[in-house]
Amino acid sequence: MIKRPIYEASAFVLSFLDYGESDRIVTFFTDKYGKIKGIAKGARRSKKRFANAIELFSHSRILFSRNRKDSLFLIENSDVIDHYPKIREDLEKTMAASYIIELAAHFTAEGKKSKKTFSLLKDFFEFLDRKKFTEESLRFFELRLIKLSGYEPVLEVCVACNTPLDEIKAPRFSATDGGIVCVECSRQRPGSLPVSVGTLKMLLMGKEMEMEKIHRLNLSKQSSRESKAILESFIPFILGKELKSVRVLKEIKRLMV
Amino acid sequence: MTGYAPPIRRLIRELNRFPGIGEKTATRLAQFILKSPEENAKRLAESIIEVKKKIRFCSTCFNLTEDALCEICSDPARENGIICVVENPDSLIAIEESGSYSGTYHVLHGVLSPADGIGPGSLRLTELMERISENTVKEVFLATNPSVQGESTALLIMKLLRDKDIRVTRIGLGIPVGGDLKYVDKMTMAKAIEFRRGI
Repeated sequence: MIKRPIYEASAFVLSFLDYGESDRIVTFFTDKYGKIKGIAKGARRSKKRFANAIELFSHSRILFSRNRKDSLFLIENSDVIDHYPKIREDLEKTMAASYIIELAAHFTAEGKKSKKTFSLLKDFFEFLDRKKFTEESLRFFELRLIKLSGYEPVLEVCVACNTPLDEIKAPRFSATDGGIVCVECSRQRPGSLPVSVGTLKMLLMGKEMEMEKIHRLNLSKQSSRESKAILESFIPFILGKELKSVRVLKEIKRLMV
Repeated sequence: MTGYAPPIRRLIRELNRFPGIGEKTATRLAQFILKSPEENAKRLAESIIEVKKKIRFCSTCFNLTEDALCEICSDPARENGIICVVENPDSLIAIEESGSYSGTYHVLHGVLSPADGIGPGSLRLTELMERISENTVKEVFLATNPSVQGESTALLIMKLLRDKDIRVTRIGLGIPVGGDLKYVDKMTMAKAIEFRRGI
């Protein structure tokens, strides 16, 4: 009998799909191998091998193997490291975490490892678990994730003519150009959105700041609205579609009013 | 499959559509049907058609039923003041089988799942709220599964009932009867401690 090598990794559950009688096809984001997709045989039945570890956004230690290079990974075992109880107890936090994992699933490619993306997810879930949730914190997560996947928007200079931010009077954000544009250049870009210098500076600062300190950044109502508007136009432009969780989040918000 | 006569091939193809049934199993089932007496096959075909024709949702609780109201909703002995909210009819059956619950139910037919695009509008929530506002409901007992989706659905309903004078309860979580503490996972153990009660 050929012995398959067993891999071990620390992982977040990005999504899963019930398959057959008791199996589950799970997408993980791992620290060592990036995004992987595997089948957890008997996951819905076996309390021993998977002890509640295959739950959305839970952080687990997984053991997995593979028969052939082109086949799904076989998840052999999974142990919870953290299931973030404070996120699960709070509807807003759970919805934010659901959005985060959908975003991460879209902005990462299978088999492409990224320790930084893994750390970003871990830091953000820990932050969400411990601190009060603010809508603004999502903006910093989005920006960082976009940066790590190579789509970082240009916020320091006009993407068309290179005029530095400090010299731009009324900057606008153009999703199709992937950054800010000055007044002159914005004339040829009808879809661009107005954004204040203050908002841009706040986003530039928050992008580099440690996650732990993010809650100290106090965004004004205007900055909060503007940063949401620019990222809400930029993310669907990169992905070519609106995320399903964004639609659901809006629906829940409407219901709560 | 090419060697089989066309009617057998068709049967295999149809059986193959069932969840968890691959081509091999479908072939085995088709062989079984082929060998069984004609009346058995007829009964099977008729019961499939009967289910499709007769089964619908109960107009009150959305359980599966043959009549306008399901057996539970039309039973005068059931306590109308308590509504147990479940994800699907399977959960309802599991609670019914315990024989410990005498209230009524409300089947949501799903749970919140943002990444799959399932929001409040895809669940039978409006109907639940209507039932609560027009009836003399004293308690809403949330029995969605203790998964992330089930918990968030329970949280959402809890928030929607916040301003109403109704007792909202959540199904208990903990150690299974006959279980052994040393084999209980961390998450369940934490919940069991949280939900401990005085005796």
